[in-house]
Formats: sequence, C-alpha cells, structure tokens
Amino acid sequence: MKNTYVIKRIFYSLFVFVVVITLNFFIPRIGVVDPAERYYPPQGNMSEIEYEIIKQVTRKQYGFDVSTWQQYLNYLHGLSKGDLGKSFRPGSPAVIDLIVERLPWTLVLSVSTLLIGLIIGVMFGVVAATKRGRWQDTLLLNASTIMVAIPGFFIALMLSFYLGFELEVFPAYTDSNMVANFDWSLAAIRTVAYNAALPVLSMAVGSIIGHAQGTRNAVIAVTNEDFILTAKAKGLKQNTIRYKHILRNSMLPIVTSLGMSISGLIGGQVVIEQVFNWNGMGTLFLEANNTNDYPLMMGIMLLLSGFTILAILITDLVYVLLDPRVTVGDKR
Amino acid sequence: MKKKLPIHHGMARGIEKRLKNTGLFIKRIWSHKQGKIGLTMVGFLVVVAIFAPYIAPFNPYDVAERTTKGLPPSSKHLLGTTINTGQDIFSMLVYGTRVSLIVGVTSGICIAIVGSILGVAAGYIGGLVDSLVMRIVDIMLVIPTLPLVIVLTNVLGRDYWTIILIFVALGWTGLARTIRSLVLVLKNSNYVKAAELAGASRWHIMIRHILPGTSHLLIMSTALSSAGIMVAEAGLSFLGLGDPTAISWGKMLAEAQRGGALLFGAWWWILTPGIGIFLAVFSFMRLGIVMEEIMNPRMQRSSGVYKVFKNLNSAYVEEVFNSMDDYAKIGVTPAFEHGKGEVTHETGLKA
Amino acid sequence: MKQVLKLRNLKVIFPTNYGIIRAVESVDLDIHERECVALVGESGCGKSVTSQSVMRLIDSPPAITRVDTLEFDGRDIKDYTPKQMQEIRGKEMGMIFQDALTSLNPVMTCGKQIDEMYIRHQGLSKEEAREHTVKALELVGLPEPRKRANSFPHELSGGMRQRVLLAMAFACLPKLLIADEPTTALDVTIQAQVLSMLRNMQRGCGTALLLVTHDLSVVSAIADTVYVMYAGKIVEKAPVRELFSTPHHPYTVGLMSAVPRLSDTERVFTQIPGTVPHPTQKPSGCYFHPRCQYATAECKKEMPPLKTIDSNREVRCHHPLSIRGVSHA
Repeated sequence: MKNTYVIKRIFYSLFVFVVVITLNFFIPRIGVVDPAERYYPPQGNMSEIEYEIIKQVTRKQYGFDVSTWQQYLNYLHGLSKGDLGKSFRPGSPAVIDLIVERLPWTLVLSVSTLLIGLIIGVMFGVVAATKRGRWQDTLLLNASTIMVAIPGFFIALMLSFYLGFELEVFPAYTDSNMVANFDWSLAAIRTVAYNAALPVLSMAVGSIIGHAQGTRNAVIAVTNEDFILTAKAKGLKQNTIRYKHILRNSMLPIVTSLGMSISGLIGGQVVIEQVFNWNGMGTLFLEANNTNDYPLMMGIMLLLSGFTILAILITDLVYVLLDPRVTVGDKR
Repeated sequence: MKKKLPIHHGMARGIEKRLKNTGLFIKRIWSHKQGKIGLTMVGFLVVVAIFAPYIAPFNPYDVAERTTKGLPPSSKHLLGTTINTGQDIFSMLVYGTRVSLIVGVTSGICIAIVGSILGVAAGYIGGLVDSLVMRIVDIMLVIPTLPLVIVLTNVLGRDYWTIILIFVALGWTGLARTIRSLVLVLKNSNYVKAAELAGASRWHIMIRHILPGTSHLLIMSTALSSAGIMVAEAGLSFLGLGDPTAISWGKMLAEAQRGGALLFGAWWWILTPGIGIFLAVFSFMRLGIVMEEIMNPRMQRSSGVYKVFKNLNSAYVEEVFNSMDDYAKIGVTPAFEHGKGEVTHETGLKA
Repeated sequence: MKQVLKLRNLKVIFPTNYGIIRAVESVDLDIHERECVALVGESGCGKSVTSQSVMRLIDSPPAITRVDTLEFDGRDIKDYTPKQMQEIRGKEMGMIFQDALTSLNPVMTCGKQIDEMYIRHQGLSKEEAREHTVKALELVGLPEPRKRANSFPHELSGGMRQRVLLAMAFACLPKLLIADEPTTALDVTIQAQVLSMLRNMQRGCGTALLLVTHDLSVVSAIADTVYVMYAGKIVEKAPVRELFSTPHHPYTVGLMSAVPRLSDTERVFTQIPGTVPHPTQKPSGCYFHPRCQYATAECKKEMPPLKTIDSNREVRCHHPLSIRGVSHA
C-alpha cells in the first residue's frame, strides 16, 4: 500500500526530471536553427564565408555538428556521466567544474537560511498560536502582511546600508578574497561567517515570518480539531496534549509547505547573492546570462531544478512517513 | 438529442447581470473596513500612473542637468536627485508607477484568463485534458521561477511585452490548480447537473455555468497575482534584466546601489523606490485579501473573538445572565444598549 | 442513592460580532449513581454545550460561563483549577463524542491512545498499560484486540472505532460518562450494538451515564430519566416511561410525532412547523410559542418557569398537556 505510493512517487519524479532535462536542452535552441549562432551571433563586419568558417569551428568544438536529435542523445549520455557540457567561456572549461567551484558557497547561505528560518520560524509560530489574540499573535499577523509586500532584495539593500555602511557592523560587500584565502582555518571560517551575515539575515527575515505564519495556522487548525477535545476530556496534561497531539499533527502541513517553498527560495537567493556580490551559483548564473554562456546557464538551471525535484520528493516521502493515512498517491 | 441553447441572447443578459454584480461587489469591498484602504490606494496608484506626466515636476529622463547630482530632498527636488545622473527621484518614482502597474495588472489579468480557461477545462472535462494540464503544472512548479524568467528573457527578448508574456506563461499554474479544485466541486452542484440533463453542450456549461461560478475567485486572483508580478518585475529590473528603456522601481534600486547611494548615504534614493514597490504590492494584496474575506466570510476569526471580549460591556453581560433566571417576568425581556449598533428588542442583541 | 452530578443554574453565552449567542439558559441537572440520564433536543439547542460544561471543557474565550452549583461526586468542582480538573477528567468523568474518526488522533495507534489513559491516571508502565488496553478492547467486543490496538483509527470501521472510544472512556472506570450523540454517525445495526454495550458497561462498571442525543429511539432504549431541551432551556423532565406515555410539553409531543413508525396508520409526516430559533434572536416569551399549536397571548409575553408536576416531573409551559390531552400510547 504505502510502498506502492513511494515507488509511484519516485517514478513520477524521474519522469518530471526527464521532461525538465528535455526542456533544458531545447530552450536555448529557441529561435535559432544553428546553435553555433548562439555562441557567435552574426555580426555585420565579416563576410559570409568567414562567418561560415567560424560557425563550423564552433560546431565542431561544442558538438553542434550532428543532428539535433543526436545532440540530444549526446546530452543525455553526458548527463549520465555527470557531464553538463562545455562552457562558452574562453578555454571551454567544463560546466560542471565551474558549478562545483561555487556550489559550496551557495550552500553556506541556503542551509543557514533554511535552518534559521525553520527553527526560529516554527518557534514563533507556535508561540503566536498559543497566545492567540495577544500581542505575539498580532505582531506576527502584521509582520506577515507587511513582509509579503517587501521584496527580499530591498531588505537586503536596507540592511546593507544601515548595518553595512552606516554602522559598519557587517561588511556590505563580500570580501573578494574570501574564496581564494579560504583554508579551513578558524580565522577563515570567521571571515566567511562575517561576510555571510547580511545575506543570510536578508533571506532569513522572510523565511522566519513565512514559516511562523504557516506554523501558526497549522497549530490553530489542529487545536480546533475534535480529537484535541477528546484529549482534554481524557484529562491529559497540557504538555502531553501540546506535544504529542497538537504539534505532532501540525507537522504535516508544515512539511508540505516546506517542499513548496524551495523553488521560491532559490530565486530569491540569486538576487541576494547579487546584492552582496557573494561568490555563489547565483552570481555565476547572472554572469553566464550576461555573457550568453548558454551551456553554463542551462547547466545551473538543470542543477537547481534537480534540487527542487529532490527536495519536493523528500518532503513528500517524509510526509508519508509521518501521516499513516496516506495510502495510494492522491494527485494533489 | 443535444439542443443548442441560444447563447448570444443569454450571454448578453448574463453580461448585464455580471456588470451589476460587479458593481455590487465593489460596493461591498468599499464597506469593508480595510476594503476602503485597498481601493483608495489602488485607485490612487492608477491615477498617478495615468497622469504621471502632469504630476511629475521634472522629466525623469532628463539627464542633461549635471549640476544637480546627488542632492538630498529639498523643496525643489522633493525626494532628491540621483548621484550619477542628477535625475529627479520624485519624478522617477511617479513614472515608475506606470511600469509596475502596467506590467503587474496586465500580467494579472492575462494570468486570470489563461489560468481560468485551463483550470475549468482540466476540472470539468477531466481525463486526458486534466492529466495534461496538471502534468504541465507539476513541471513548471519544479523549475525555479526567477532563473527560468532570466533564461527566457535572454532567449526571447527583454521588452516589456515579452516579459509580460513570460510572466503569464509561468504564472498561470497556481491559479489553474485552484480553479480546478473549485470546478470539481461545482461540477457536482445541482444546477450543473440539471443543465447536463437538459442536454446542454459541454462548452455551454463551462462558459455559462462553471466559469461564472469562479468569477469571484478570478477577480481576487487578479489582484493577488498582480501584486506578485510587481515584486517579480522589480526583482528582474533590479538585476538589470528588465526593459532598458523604461523607468522601473527595481531599476532605480539597482542604479542606487551601483551609483554609490549606500556609500554616500543617499538614503532617499534607496528608500523611495522601495517604498514605491511596497505601496503598490501592499495595496493590491490588501484588495485581494479583502475580496477573499468577502467571499469566505469567517464568522469569527480567532483574533476577532478577543477583540469582542475586550469591547464587552460587562454590565450588559450581567443583564443577559440575569434575564435567563426563572423568575416570573412581566413583559418582554428589556432592550439594552450595547456600544454602537441597533438593538433588537427580543434579547438585547445587536441587530 | 448517591448523587454523582448536581448542576444548578448553568448559563453559557458566546459573545460574537453578530450578537450574543445564548447557548445555555439556566439549566439544572441531577444524575445519580448508575442512572442513565438523557438530554434530548434538536441540534443547536445547547445540549452539547451543556454536556461539555459539566466537564468544564468550554473555554472562556470564546464563551462566558456562569453556574451556581457544580458538584461532582459530592465535591464542589466549580472552582477547580485546570490542574485539578485534569485529574478528574478521564479518571472519574469521561466523555465520548459523535464522530469517532475525528475524535481520535489520526497519527497515533488506537492502542497508544488508550494506553495514555492508564499511564496518565494509574501510573502504569507502557507494557502494563498495553495489557490493560488489550483487555479493555476485548471487553468492548473488538475481535483480535491485540492486533487492533496497533491499528490507526482510519484503518478501523465506524463501529470498531466507537468501541475503541468506549474502551478509552471506560478505561479508568469513571463515575460519570458523558456520551454526546454516540450513535448518530453509525448504521442502525451498529447503533443497537453500541447502545447495548453502553448499557452493559454502565451497569457493569457502575457508571452513571449522561446521554446527549436528538434521537428518541436511543432514549427509549437505555435512558432512565429524560431532560428535553429547547433553545437553551430545559422544557421538560420526566422518567423515561412517563415521558413517552404522557408527554406534557408540546415540543416533546412534536418530537415524538416526528418519528415515523411502521405502525402509523396515517401516511402523513408530521413536522413541527417552523425552525429552531437563531441563537442570537430568540422569540419573546416562551421560546417555543411561534411553533406551538396551543400558544396563547400569555405564551407570547412571558417565559414560563420550570414547574414541578407530581414528584419527579417538571415542565416549562403555561398550558402543559394533561393526561386526557394528546397522548401517544
């Protein structure tokens, strides 16, 4: 019963992933017949023949000299080996190498924000739910309505301005030598933390409030359920009811919303990295975009999508673990 | 035998009725406490956007004046000027309204159209159509939106109409899902079943029965989507990927950062566009939330209970309790005052 | 006979934006050892609120409660602290609700939920508690009790779930059990089983039973004394047989005629005309007068007090029906 669901779910994720890969392959090919033109867009100052030669060389270099279908198969083949193609940069470095270089730095921010947002947010949410109608709850409600309307990068700019420039508590721009000088020493780690403070803070504010709001609603909804009344009628202690009954059931909607929020977080992080010039995948992506480095762009896209699929799959499976009522997969 | 019911005549009457209902709906929004705020703010923004050239004291595109760079707010330049080009920030704020509103509202409306069509089709027709639409929704959900928008602007172009198209193409999914759920419920309602029995064609039912049933949801979603799109557009412009020829609040923020506003403490340059974005998004969200509350009236929100309790007149409560006692009573139970509002004579309650 | 519950002058209101909901207006209840008292009325008449107030489960926002006397087993529990109430609830006073599926924690096995009772109130260990739980499930007639204990609520059928609730409620052999519409969500055949089980457990454990229901057939099956409630007030109280043979209040009569029976020679459904008054807008005088065929001007003006007739019957009516009047033998 449950196992069928799990297997179905995994297969579905794979299916989605394959579709995403295909989309990923074809998007940069929109509007051009010959992908080489993406690398080297036609410029007015050379003759037809010169351009044709350049295109041929490019094609050879990047594997565009075969049919589109063959290119697709090559692409899939490469993916299975972990090869995301060659960047359009001078020297044609492997896309995967470029990404791996920056990946850990992005993760530093992502994981920090996730942990802070989740832990503090859930705590706030529970407090707000139990102190309904009092100031904690009103504060959260007001904060939510306001926060939704403020874009993350504006918060980032404000923080960068006040804490960064005016008060000089944290650096407003990431130290450009931070990556190069990193040597796992305590001093280096401190530098990273110091530089990461503002980016994480910018993202954490929204994350905390989002999780707090979700948790609050979940806890209130569960508290109004019949079985909580039964639990009270059984004379169970307040703490027992709070944790074993209310919280345990509130986790379900929280886990679901967690999965959903991931793709939004990724986009937000791209902008924040840009604000602080943080050396992560977000800035790499924007660089690739500015230089029309399609293999790199799409490589990052694929990775991000893959992460999201994985994250949603994991949260779904965790939900199955937590809720015994899930039997056959119900298309949400 | 399937009868072809007269759609045109019915549609004309239907549209009339719908317009009247819309008018009523707007009145109801106005009478809601926060509805007033939402409507006034949105109205205000619309006015500013339309009459921008008349409101803005300077031509924001005018970069000729080089002596006025980096001025703090003064009576001449209400919100100061930019550091790098000496443009009047207040004027830029005013003109920026246009971009935000046009992109936001147009996208919002188009999303409502596309989302509703696909949602109704998926929900009502079901089967293959449903599977197909929902698969697409699942796939779009998985790809991170901002990076995808960036890629698409790269490949398809950066003018605002293309951007609106991209926003709509990515944004319909959420609405389609919600509409589909609603349609599944509506499908089983009596009047739809009756229409099916009467032999009405699928199209007829979808257009004349199901779609109107979702109309309130659509209006609300337009407001909320517009708000969301405005944030997205701001982000896009901030990254420098919006339309380079237009003035957008997001772009102002980017220029502020690049132009050294942070460094030189030109807080007016940073705060202004940010507040612009906030006001625009906030007012549309408020409108959307008010609409939602009107459609799903919740008798008592949890915080509402506490407010009622705080405002309770304890003497009145005592009277109520006393009136329940079993003494021989002559006459009706007396009427009581209770703060504002009329009181019915029966049991001293607000009308 | 010892009195398990003495409730005097219970009043509960819910202040809302739309007016004050007068849920319970001055209700008295007496329940004795081993007695089964039925509280009957249509939905919205305040019987559920009354029953929950006995256990003091009605929270102060959103409600305001007043009561003159609330004595349980001779003790005044009116001013008990929440901790003190937690000691009595479950252990000496139990409650089961209508929908067994939503009344059970969906992510906990049934067994664990019953174990909780033993662990909490009798200080048993997990293993000991489980033994008791299995025995309890056996007693309520659940087949394969040990296996069922490890099931989740949604895995059991409606009848089985209700038995689980019963086992849970009777676990600590409470002196009073409150059953709020225990059979409403069940099929008729299961209803009978649950009712007989309730009665057996009640007799066997010596528990007093407060049965809240709108279903008169349930009342006739197991109740000893019946209180009829309407719009927040008690309108009639009588021992069960007398209530059915000679109802005094027009509403009671109406309730009984509304139940169709095979033996009825007339093929017409009698309904009490009109609807239950909205809780924020109750009629003047006697709350039932708009729907009462015997209403007079006096009924419209004055609320009739609850009068004692004979030794153990009470009616709230200006013109209670006499023995020679409408009877439903």
